[in-house]
Amino acid sequence: MSSKKTRALLALAGLVTATAACGGGGTEAGAGPVELDYVMWVDSQVPAYKQCADAFTKKNPNITVKLSSVAWAQYWQNLTTQVVSGTAPDVFRNSVAYYPQFAKNNQLLDLTEYVERDKVDLGQYQKGLTDVWVRDGKRYGLPLDWDTIGVFYNKDQVQKAGLDPADFAQWTWNPQDGGTFEKAIAALTVDDKGRRGTDPGFDKEHVAVYGIAPDYNTGALGQTGWAAFAAGNGFKYLDKNPFGTKYFYDDPKLAETIDWFAGLIKKGYAPAYDKQSALGGDAVLQGGKTAMVMAGSWMAKPYLDNKTLNLAVAPLPAGPQGRKTPINGVSDAIYAGTKHKEEAWQWVKFTASAECQDLIAATTEVLPAITTASEKALAAHEAAGRDVKPFVEEAQAADGTFLLPVTDNADKINEIMDTAISSVLLGTADAKTALPQANTEVNALFQ
Amino acid sequence: MTTTLTRAKPAFKPAFKHRAEGGQGRYALLFLLPALIGFAAFYIYPSLRGVWLSVTDWNLLSDPEFVGLDNYAELATDPLFWKALLLTGYNTVLNLVGQITLALLLAALMHRLTKSVVLRATLLLPWLVPNVATALLWLWLLDANLGFVNQLLSAMGLSTHGFFNSPAEAMPSVAAVTTWASVGYVALLLYAGMLQIPASVYEAAAMDGAGEIRTFFRITLPLLRPVLALVLVVSVIGCFQIFDTIAVATEGGPVNATKVIYYYIYQEAFTHFRMGYAAAMALSLVLILGVLTYVQMRLMRASDSDLG
Amino acid sequence: MRAGRIAAWTVLGLAVLVTVFPFYWMVRTALTDAHHLFSDNLSLWPQHFTLANFKRVLGLSTVAEAQAAGGSGASLDFVLYLRNSIVYTAVVVAVQTLSCAMAAYALARLRFRGREVLFSVFVAALMVPPIFTLLPNFALVRNLGLLNTFAGLVAPILLMTPFTVFFLRQFFLSLPREVEEAAVIDGAGVWSVFWRVALPMSRGPLLTIAIINGVYAWKDYLWPLLVGQDEGSRVLTVALGVFLQQSPNARPDWTGLMAGSTLSVIPVLLLLLVFGRRLANSLNFTGIK
Repeated sequence: MSSKKTRALLALAGLVTATAACGGGGTEAGAGPVELDYVMWVDSQVPAYKQCADAFTKKNPNITVKLSSVAWAQYWQNLTTQVVSGTAPDVFRNSVAYYPQFAKNNQLLDLTEYVERDKVDLGQYQKGLTDVWVRDGKRYGLPLDWDTIGVFYNKDQVQKAGLDPADFAQWTWNPQDGGTFEKAIAALTVDDKGRRGTDPGFDKEHVAVYGIAPDYNTGALGQTGWAAFAAGNGFKYLDKNPFGTKYFYDDPKLAETIDWFAGLIKKGYAPAYDKQSALGGDAVLQGGKTAMVMAGSWMAKPYLDNKTLNLAVAPLPAGPQGRKTPINGVSDAIYAGTKHKEEAWQWVKFTASAECQDLIAATTEVLPAITTASEKALAAHEAAGRDVKPFVEEAQAADGTFLLPVTDNADKINEIMDTAISSVLLGTADAKTALPQANTEVNALFQ
Repeated sequence: MTTTLTRAKPAFKPAFKHRAEGGQGRYALLFLLPALIGFAAFYIYPSLRGVWLSVTDWNLLSDPEFVGLDNYAELATDPLFWKALLLTGYNTVLNLVGQITLALLLAALMHRLTKSVVLRATLLLPWLVPNVATALLWLWLLDANLGFVNQLLSAMGLSTHGFFNSPAEAMPSVAAVTTWASVGYVALLLYAGMLQIPASVYEAAAMDGAGEIRTFFRITLPLLRPVLALVLVVSVIGCFQIFDTIAVATEGGPVNATKVIYYYIYQEAFTHFRMGYAAAMALSLVLILGVLTYVQMRLMRASDSDLG
Repeated sequence: MRAGRIAAWTVLGLAVLVTVFPFYWMVRTALTDAHHLFSDNLSLWPQHFTLANFKRVLGLSTVAEAQAAGGSGASLDFVLYLRNSIVYTAVVVAVQTLSCAMAAYALARLRFRGREVLFSVFVAALMVPPIFTLLPNFALVRNLGLLNTFAGLVAPILLMTPFTVFFLRQFFLSLPREVEEAAVIDGAGVWSVFWRVALPMSRGPLLTIAIINGVYAWKDYLWPLLVGQDEGSRVLTVALGVFLQQSPNARPDWTGLMAGSTLSVIPVLLLLLVFGRRLANSLNFTGIK
C-alpha cells in the first residue's frame, strides 16, 4: 500500500474516532426513549422485520426501531455518502462483498466484546456463516439468513419435452459437452416451428422458448450465474477467503465455464446477451420465454407462488468436481458513529436471536441463519405447498458449498469482471485472453 | 444565448441620471446582493475549488492531498476517458442529425400548413416531462422481450432487437429517446425563426413559380441559418451533458457502451469517491466545451449577415 | 399540390401519434393488472383494468395488498415525493426569479463601477457545464451539514442562475425608459420604480422565465440524486429511479413504475393546459439555456 493511502486511512481513522467522540460515545441503555434508524435493501422483507421490531419494542419499551429500505443499486453509495457526512443509520444490513471496505475504514462497530459479554451462542447458526464477519480478529456482524442457488423449471415445459423431473436430481455438467444438464436444456428449447433443440432442423435464429435464461450480469461473484459451475469445475476465486489478496480469474477452468455459457447462446439454447431483457432472466421467465432460470432460495416464495407459471425447484447439476453451490448470508452492522451503541447492539442481538428469526421463518421470506429457525421456515414453506428441499440438501451436502469472496476493492473488481465476462458472452472477446487480462487489473488493485 | 443576442443590443442608459455618481452604487449593491451571494457561493467558489481539486487526491474523508498533474497524466492514458469522450461525441452527432432534420421538417410543415397552438403544445409535451420518466417509459417500450416495440416487430414478422441491452444498439437507442424528447421543442424554436422571415420573400418566390421544396431550400433554409446556428450551439451543449437518460436506462452499460463523459465523471466522483480525478475530467470537459462553443459562435457570426 | 398537402398532413399526424402514443402506453400499462401484464402485450386497451397500481404508489394500500396486486411491495410514498417536487419547484422559481430580477435590473438600469465586468463574468458562467461546479458544491453542502435537507437541495440555484439574470437583463434593457423616468420625476425611489413600474411592465417575460425555470426544476435529477436521498428531501424523479432499482432480483414493477411516471406527467399536462399558448408562443425569443 502506498504511503499516500496509508496517510489517508490514518486521517480517516482519526476522523471517525473524532465523530464517535463528538457523538458522546455509548449512552447507557435505558437512559430515555431512543429511536434507532435501521436500513435494509430488500423492500419485501421490511414487513417481516417490522414484526421483529414490534416484538423488540415490547421487550424494550424505551427503544423503537425505524425501518426503511434503499434500493440495492443505491444502497452502498448512499451508505458511503452518509458515513462521509456523519449521518449513517445506527444499524444497517450488511453484505459480505461490501463490509470489508467499511471495516477497513473503521466505520463499523466491533461486536467482539458485546458477543462475549452477552454470551451469544455462535454454534446455533448454519455452519460457515459466522466466520466471514470477522476481520483481523474483530467481529462485525451476526448471521441473519442464508441462501443457496437452485434451478427453477417450468413444469409444463418439462412435461411437454418428455423429461422426467426425477432425473434432475442426478443431472451432471461438464464444460465440454455440458453433460445431461445441457441435454435437458436442449430438449427444453423450442423454435417457432415447434422443433426442439435436440431435433434435426432446429432453427436457432427463431427460438420461441429457450431452455434456460442464465443471469449474465453477475459481476465478480457469479452468484446466480457461473459461480456454481466454475466451482464444480475446480475453480477457486482467490488464494485465501476471507481476505485474500490474489484472485484467480485467469484460471482456465473459469474460462472454460464462461465459454460453455457463451456456447449455449451460440447454439440458441439461451437468449443472446444483447437480446435479453435489460433486466435479467426473470423478465424472460415471466414472459414464458424460458423453461428454466437459476436463482437464489430467496426467490422461492415469489416463484413457487406464481399463479401464472407452474414452477418447481431442482438442484444445480454436479460438475466434474461434484455439486457446488455458493452459500451466502447477510448480517446487521452497527455504524461506529452511532450515538446509541448499547441500544443498537440490543437490536442486532435480537435480530440474530431465535425469537426474531422464528418470526422471520414464519414469513418464509428467507431461510434464517439459526438452524432451528431454518427448519421452521422449511416447515412453513411445506405448509404453503412449496417444495424447497433442493436448497437445503445442497447446503447440507459434504463439501457442497463454497463462500463468495470477501476482500477489499469489491466494487472496482465487480466493474472489471462484469465488463470482461459480458464481452465474452457477447462474443466480442475471447475468454482465454479477456479473463487473464481482467485478472491482472484486479490483482493490481491490491498492489 | 437567445436570439436577442443576434439583434442589435439596446444601449445602456441609466434610468436615474439625476442622482449623483456613486449614489447608485449602494442601491446597485443592495439589488445585486442576493444574486451575488448565490453566485459567489455556488459558482465562483466551487469553480476555484474545482480547479484546486483537480490537482489533488481526495476521497471526501481525508484532507485533499496535492498530487500535481498526476490526475491529468492518468486521464491522458485512461482508455475509458477517451472512450467516454468519443461516445459523447457519437451521441451528439446522432442527436444533431436526428433532431435537426426532423425538427426542420416539422417546423417547415407547420409553417406552411397551420398555426395551431394545440399542435405545438402537443409536440412540446415530451420536452416537459422529466427525463427520468421518459427513460423509464422507453425502457419499458423497448424491453428486449416484452416491450411493445419488439412485440410489434415480431407481430410484423421482423426480427426483434436488444435496444438498450445491445452494445451496438444502446447508444443509438439513447439518442433516439433524447431525440424523441426534444425534437418538438427544437421544431418550435425553428418554427418561431421561420415566422420572422418576411412573408414578402415567399410571395416573391411564389410569383417566380418556385415549388414548396425549392422554396424551402432556396429561401427558408438560408434565412434560418442564424437560428439554426443557435439551436446547434444549444443542442451541442445539451448533448454533452446527457446524464438522466443514461443513469436510468443503461447505467453506462452494456459493457461501457453508453458510458458518456457525464456518467463517467459521476461514477468516479460518487461511486468510487475519487473527487480529484473526477474534477480533472470535469475541468477538461469545461475546456472542450469552451473551444466547441467558441468555434460555433464564430461560425454563427459568419452567417449572421444573411438575415440582414 | 393536393397530394403534397395530404402527404404533409400525414407526416404531421404521424409526428403527433409518435409523440402521444408512448404516453398512452404509459397510462395503459399503469391501468393494467400486474399479473396480466405479460399477456395481451399488443392489446391497445388494458385487458384487466385496475386502479390498484395508482393506489399502490400513492400509499393507499398496504404492502400486503400491494404485493397481492403484483407489485414488488416497494413502499414508496409518492404523495410525499410529489409534494417535495412541487415545493422544490415552487421555492426555486419564486426566490430565484425575484432575486435574479433585482440583479438584472441593477445591471440594466443602475450606474455603478464594474457593471460591465460583472455582466461578462455572469455570461462566462453560462458556458460552464454544471458538472464542474457540482462536485465542489456537493462537498460544500456536505461541510455545511445540509446533505439530505431541503436547504441543501435548493441552495445552488435558489438565489441565481446566470441564465435567468442574463435573460431578464436583456429584457429590462429593451423596456422603454420613459415610464420609469416619469416615476422618478414623481419622486419615486429606485426600489419603488423597480417594484411598482419595472416589474409590472415585465409580467410576461417574468412568467416565461418562471415557467422555464419551473420546468427545469421539475426535471432535475442529478443534484437531487446526490443531496436528496432521505424521504423528507426526495423528489419525484429520484423516487422513480429508486423505485426501478428497488425490485428484488431485478424484477421491475412495470405497472407501478408507469403509475409513478404518470404522476410526474400530470402536473406538466396541467401546465400545458394553463400556459400552453404562452409556452408555445414564447419559445421564439427565449432560446433556452
